Amino acid sequence: MTAIPHSTSVSLIPDITLVTLRQLLGRRRAVLLLLLSAVPVLIALLYRAAGADKVDGFAGGVLEVLCLNLILPIIAVLFGTAAFGAEIEDGTIVYLMAKPVARWAIVAAKLLAAISLTVILAAGSVVISSAIAIVHLEDRGLSAMEVYTTAMVVGSICYVALFVALSLFTQRALLIGFGYVLIWEGALSNLLPGIANLSIRQYAIGAGQIFYDLAPERARLEPEAAVPLAVIVVVAATVLATRRLMRLEISGETD
Amino acid sequence: MIAPNDAATSAATIELNHAARWYGNVVAVNDISFSLGPGVTGLLGPNGAGKTTLLHMLAGFLAPSAGDVKVLGRRPHLDPAVYRQIGLVPEREAVYPFMTGRDYVRFNARLQGLPNADEAARQAISAVGLEDAMDRAVGTYSKGMRQRVKVAGALVHDPQVLLLDEPFNGMDPRQRLAMMELLGRMADAGKTILFSSHILEEVERVGSEILVIVAGRLAASGDFRAIRALMTDRPHTVTIRSSDDRRLATALMGDPAVFAVELRSDSLAVRTAHLSVLRLLLAGASRKAGVRLLEVIPADESLESVFEYLVRR
Repeated sequence: MTAIPHSTSVSLIPDITLVTLRQLLGRRRAVLLLLLSAVPVLIALLYRAAGADKVDGFAGGVLEVLCLNLILPIIAVLFGTAAFGAEIEDGTIVYLMAKPVARWAIVAAKLLAAISLTVILAAGSVVISSAIAIVHLEDRGLSAMEVYTTAMVVGSICYVALFVALSLFTQRALLIGFGYVLIWEGALSNLLPGIANLSIRQYAIGAGQIFYDLAPERARLEPEAAVPLAVIVVVAATVLATRRLMRLEISGETD
Repeated sequence: MIAPNDAATSAATIELNHAARWYGNVVAVNDISFSLGPGVTGLLGPNGAGKTTLLHMLAGFLAPSAGDVKVLGRRPHLDPAVYRQIGLVPEREAVYPFMTGRDYVRFNARLQGLPNADEAARQAISAVGLEDAMDRAVGTYSKGMRQRVKVAGALVHDPQVLLLDEPFNGMDPRQRLAMMELLGRMADAGKTILFSSHILEEVERVGSEILVIVAGRLAASGDFRAIRALMTDRPHTVTIRSSDDRRLATALMGDPAVFAVELRSDSLAVRTAHLSVLRLLLAGASRKAGVRLLEVIPADESLESVFEYLVRR
């Protein structure tokens, strides 16, 4: 077995990332996700127009419940599972697999593309809506924006890494991904507090507390625990995805 | 050159040794052994015979469930570096629709690590005769053009081994001829080319060597002409209805071209190895016996029946 030089593979990551970006943006769902991420901005405009001035109200309702709990996982699951899933579905994956490119580099490029789009839409939504609704109010407004922006970036990376790996193990990645977000993180984590240790939402909001201890009642994990757990999820998911891709089997359509 | 036995030849670039592949209880490729050297070889078989599975094993997309598959002495499913020497044209039509033809071929050249991807792409596009359309989005291509751009992407790095799954699908006769000539030129340059097809005539025009695969098994392999002769000289059954089947049977029995005659309730079944001889014989014998021919129905002449015959041999 001949090794492929890492330098060659690294230099190809931008090429594969760009193609993946175009694939992800070319799908109709990209427009729907853009509209979804615009919802908090609309609410922020209304909030501002109505003269509301409660930082905690906006942060707890819009930034946390709407952006972090709902919009972020929806965007991440759709981009994350499509990064490989769309190529496996339409058969173009063979053009990547039949190349002398290290499999970790292909995974890295897919992650880079899906994470970039998720961060731009999810974190972008938080930044813009916060800037409209609460940043001008007081210092806490700016702090809230920083906390939730950090949470969105950390959450984007973790969720996408998980869903990219998942899409290489099962064709039902989308369904399982939504199941994880809605049932595990949404319903069960409220009933069983211990689940926080296995919840990307909690890693994200926990990591957001690095700068400001803004929402201690909602963040069940301290940053000291949340950040290492988030790193473990990303590393483990990336390693698993690479190992899976090395053994990925592609059968024909006809026989 | 095909060596259809267990022993690989020294010039072999593709070797299968008792290779098998199954999915659960379904056996897609069953204990196939052969080795190929430079030249064009056709992989012929009906739809669902296991051609794509076999090509995907060679392309490293499927690990053999049993046996061994080697390309250039390496096991492709474990060794992505071998793709420097393999070009693959998959059967599925999908090509990144948002890319132009030139972008697509250049993307392939880049991923192959070619130092001058632009020039390599230009040459590959010229080889398949797609210069006029290279700056159009692939999504606007016809099926035949898409096949050609896939071929350009597969040969952009001048691979030693080219694997093509149903490459002539969707091509018009002129494109087909040009592609056949291109494959011929590559074979003359010492490349090993294996292409699949379910159409006898396609294989006949390109590959002097063929592998026939039926129901996952290698039914025949070797020189095309020898196998073609086997196919045409096989026993045929012709069903005849006439004004007097019994008298016609008597008249036909004596001829050496007729193997057997079976008198049925309302027809006559005649077995022969030479359909053309039988046609002439029928005309003469029926006239001489004063029997009027009402219907002459050759038995199933489909490719599947030809393949089944080869498997039984």
